[in-house]
Amino acid sequence: MIPYADFLYFGILLYIALPTVVIRRWLGFSRAWVLLATAVMLMLQYGTLTHALPVNVPEGVGLTGGLALSSTVAEVRELWVVLACGLFQWAVARCSLFLRARTAWYWPYPMALLLTVLPLVAARFLPLVIPGSHLGFLGISYMTFRSLDVIFGIQDRLIQTLPVDQFLAFLFFFPTISSGPIDRYRRFRDDWNRPHPPAEFWKDLDGAVHHIFTGFLYKFILAALIKNSWIDRLAVGGFLNTVSYMYGYSLYLYFDFAGYSAFAVGVSYLLGIHTPENFNRPFLAGNIKDFWNRWHISLSSWLRDHVYMRFMLIATKGRWFTSKYTASYLGFFLAFGLMGLWHGIEPYYLLYGLYHGALLVGHDLLTRWNKPRRVWGDGPLWRALGTLVTFHLVCLGFLLFSGRIGPTWKPVGSVPPVTR
Amino acid sequence: MTISDRVLDVLVGVAEIEDLRHDPDVRLYDLQILDSMKTVELIVAFAAEFGVEISPTEFDREDWATPRKIIAYMERKVAA
Repeated sequence: MIPYADFLYFGILLYIALPTVVIRRWLGFSRAWVLLATAVMLMLQYGTLTHALPVNVPEGVGLTGGLALSSTVAEVRELWVVLACGLFQWAVARCSLFLRARTAWYWPYPMALLLTVLPLVAARFLPLVIPGSHLGFLGISYMTFRSLDVIFGIQDRLIQTLPVDQFLAFLFFFPTISSGPIDRYRRFRDDWNRPHPPAEFWKDLDGAVHHIFTGFLYKFILAALIKNSWIDRLAVGGFLNTVSYMYGYSLYLYFDFAGYSAFAVGVSYLLGIHTPENFNRPFLAGNIKDFWNRWHISLSSWLRDHVYMRFMLIATKGRWFTSKYTASYLGFFLAFGLMGLWHGIEPYYLLYGLYHGALLVGHDLLTRWNKPRRVWGDGPLWRALGTLVTFHLVCLGFLLFSGRIGPTWKPVGSVPPVTR
Repeated sequence: MTISDRVLDVLVGVAEIEDLRHDPDVRLYDLQILDSMKTVELIVAFAAEFGVEISPTEFDREDWATPRKIIAYMERKVAA
């Protein structure tokens, strides 16, 4: 069952939402209830699907004298895969915390980072290596990024304890598990542990209703309309069709994703967790830098903090480059290249990421060039022009992202694509 | 020199804007005076000046939103 995708999900969600309102109104914020609700929703979301996992079974002695192995595929409930992944992440984080305080941290830190991304990498590449296998689950990319946030927090000594219920609540929090927003452990932990005064419930309820109905408008009305009446009718290629598809797909992507995020934030607020917003009128951005402060905010700020700034910090301290701009531009390509790859291993995803890296580098170069010359002005007309240009550059990026014009290749074995 | 003066020296050096000394409530990130790259430069400069390690995620953009807030943050950090 895909969260927020159909009315069946919302019908089931009602069985969680109504008790939530009653509990919060008369008992207050309840961590136990959030954990219980998460467990129930996770069972519904992942309990019905099974995975085909490769299992190597010894078949006796082979012709050459060695042990012959036959690959069979075992059916495993997705719920166990999800739980195993979560517990694995907890084990890595817990060991990291232990080692951080006691021993030399030099090698455990990169090891911890590698182990944390291992499930995601395995999920992406296993189907290529062993056709017929399927390891990923909806939300694995998001879970990986949340886990990495914990490792970075341990590295920075900002996380000193890791209670298992808190960590698993953060990792599995059902409103945001499948497609974000990507919360940060310390922010979530503070929400989890702070007192929730009774008056806050009414504000949360108001915010929840507002967000959920925004979600209905965006995802079930606007995005659905755009899909059915606009982009689905542009199946065939041709230049004009592709241009029309570009605009339609961009708007579809926004309303679908922003609608989904509105649902996730709304349900979070209902439960008492103030998950941060993911979108802020992105098509009004004046330039590409502003765009990434408005689109998929949780992802771009995660990449800024954990990839770009950390890379810049190491490069600056280590004096890797003579110019700070070289480091910065490489940082853009690194962060946004990763952003592309995070979506999937198809080449057009990487191209999409590098394209945005190039846009950001270009924007910075132009800004520096323009500063003494003032060719590009400051007034409202200039800003409007900037917004228009940015909108088109972004739409072109989404056309790449859609796979309609970018390079592509079919993995051997043709398994269903790993869901995000 | 007080911590406040030293912080302002570093900030003015990174942002390359002398006026920051006289306007303690100017919104640095909102006005694009500081961005991610300059934030990293600040972190490195503060490490050199005060000997404190600051991680990119230990503070909110709001904690460093104005010169006044940065001074307050560094005073707490140095005292700790």
